[in-house]
Amino acid sequence: MASEAYENVRVGGLRKGKRSSDPERRTGIIFIIPPLFLFLITFTFFPAVYSFVISLFHYDPFFHKIYFVGLSNYVSVLTSSAFARAIVNVLIYTAVVVTVQTFLAFGYALLFNRVSTYSRVVRAIVFIPAVISPVSMSIIFIWVFSTEGPINYLLSLFGVHPINFFYSTTYAFPAIMAMNIFSTAPYFMIIYSAGLRSIPQDVMDAAMLDGIRNGLQRFRYIYFPMLRFSTVLVVILGLTGAMQLFDQVFVITDGGPARSTYVPLMFIYNRTFVYTGEIGLAAAASFILFIIIMALTISQRRIISERRW
Amino acid sequence: MNLRKTVSLAIAYILMSVLLVIYVIPFYWTFLKSFRNSIFANFPPDFNPPLQDERALLHPEPQDSLELRLIPTLVLQQRLRLCVCRCRECVHRCPCCYAFARLKFPGRDILFYAVLATLMIPFPVISIASYVFMLDIHWLSTYQGLIMPPQIASALNVFLMRQYFTTIPDDIENAAKIDGLRPPWQIFFRISAPIAKPAIAATAIYSFISSWNNFLWPLMEVHSIRLFTLPLVLNFFKGANGTQIYWNQMMTVNILAMIPTLIVFIVFERYFVEGIALQGRPVS
Repeated sequence: MASEAYENVRVGGLRKGKRSSDPERRTGIIFIIPPLFLFLITFTFFPAVYSFVISLFHYDPFFHKIYFVGLSNYVSVLTSSAFARAIVNVLIYTAVVVTVQTFLAFGYALLFNRVSTYSRVVRAIVFIPAVISPVSMSIIFIWVFSTEGPINYLLSLFGVHPINFFYSTTYAFPAIMAMNIFSTAPYFMIIYSAGLRSIPQDVMDAAMLDGIRNGLQRFRYIYFPMLRFSTVLVVILGLTGAMQLFDQVFVITDGGPARSTYVPLMFIYNRTFVYTGEIGLAAAASFILFIIIMALTISQRRIISERRW
Repeated sequence: MNLRKTVSLAIAYILMSVLLVIYVIPFYWTFLKSFRNSIFANFPPDFNPPLQDERALLHPEPQDSLELRLIPTLVLQQRLRLCVCRCRECVHRCPCCYAFARLKFPGRDILFYAVLATLMIPFPVISIASYVFMLDIHWLSTYQGLIMPPQIASALNVFLMRQYFTTIPDDIENAAKIDGLRPPWQIFFRISAPIAKPAIAATAIYSFISSWNNFLWPLMEVHSIRLFTLPLVLNFFKGANGTQIYWNQMMTVNILAMIPTLIVFIVFERYFVEGIALQGRPVS
């Protein structure tokens, strides 16, 4: 439809002739130049290039020690055990969180896909964690997973000794995963809800006539193909979001007991602001992180281009 | 068949209620704790409303009130200013999206793909370079430094809004042209922008929420307490990792920080859903 509209505009323009397309061209340029140049070029493209340039230097602006070191920053980042740990952690995190939250979001969407005041109210309440700041959520979840929290209370009913989740190398990261699934699944639920709403009733009726009655079949033959676009969107947004995990880890564990919750952005932040004077290293690390995110996103590109993203 | 329907409906309602309980418990406790006297979280968690002698907020200790006064006067008001700037910026962007969708001029598609390419650059990845950039031009700990750099999902907004503009039927604009609205900017301001109001509202709300909640950039950029934003204050209040959190005061600050987002959410709930529904719509 997008390309169709574009064709219409082009045909209309041809018919109108050259004279009337001139103000259009002028307005177009006037509309586009200010935001594009002011914001995108100055504050996105320039820092992106600058980031790469910095990564080639030993960059210490606080003591004015700046000299060219070539690729040695990349070598030291890639051989550093802290960064390797961070990458492994974030990949595990991404795999678990994206999978669980996609299924959960779909489940929520199915559950709330009915016309009733009750489901509307519950959906709004369930959506609240998605709009509240991650820092607020983290602070609440420090209590939820503390020794006095409700999780330990539930466990104590089964006779389990209280576990101090965020102080244990085994449980700290799963607890953070659980917390993020809790707050991001409702967000992605809305995307699935919109997708479900766009399935025409005719399709459901036709499927009913064709004998698709049980839930599993309906999932296989209706929801899975019709919601492919929503799924791609949920997975891509989830991937990029999960790779950028920072706030929660910073607030709750600060990299965690024995680096068990260390993530790349933690590494980048620490290199810049804790061990000051290693900005070159931090820039190199962020470039590597960028390449990983890019690779994960591009691997989805074929499906996206099929649907004319 | 009818029985099966009833049973599945009952199961759905039970599941919804369970979800409701799970999602309400943390907030309910947060709310209760903010009115209590004791700084400790007791075990098992106490979900009863505070008794008369447990209430704290009505008789605050002197140092508490000093800390609590810090929140509204210093932080809230400037935070609002910040968010208004971001929303305004987002609305400024609207003509740009319109131009990408409807007007034709040389290099339009190349520029559009350039904007889409910035979608691929997440802000945290360029935050270090932005920090050094701000350092170079002496914008650290300033309002402009806080406001300008983070492009919070703004390329996504451009894309979504362009998508919305392309779904407006051509006939409407052609009718406007016949009625005598010749210059494209007039058509945009009189016809297309009012039609696209839901999309504009949704993107404005999303930039409000995301700039309100942004943590990483203020954490890097702000070095003086005068410019602290709410998430930073929350983190500051929490204290160092591993120290005892004063749960009642902490939760009071937490509730205060949540109230503005909650008000925006309750008032514009319809647009939240519509805003994401724009994303969810299949493009072809």
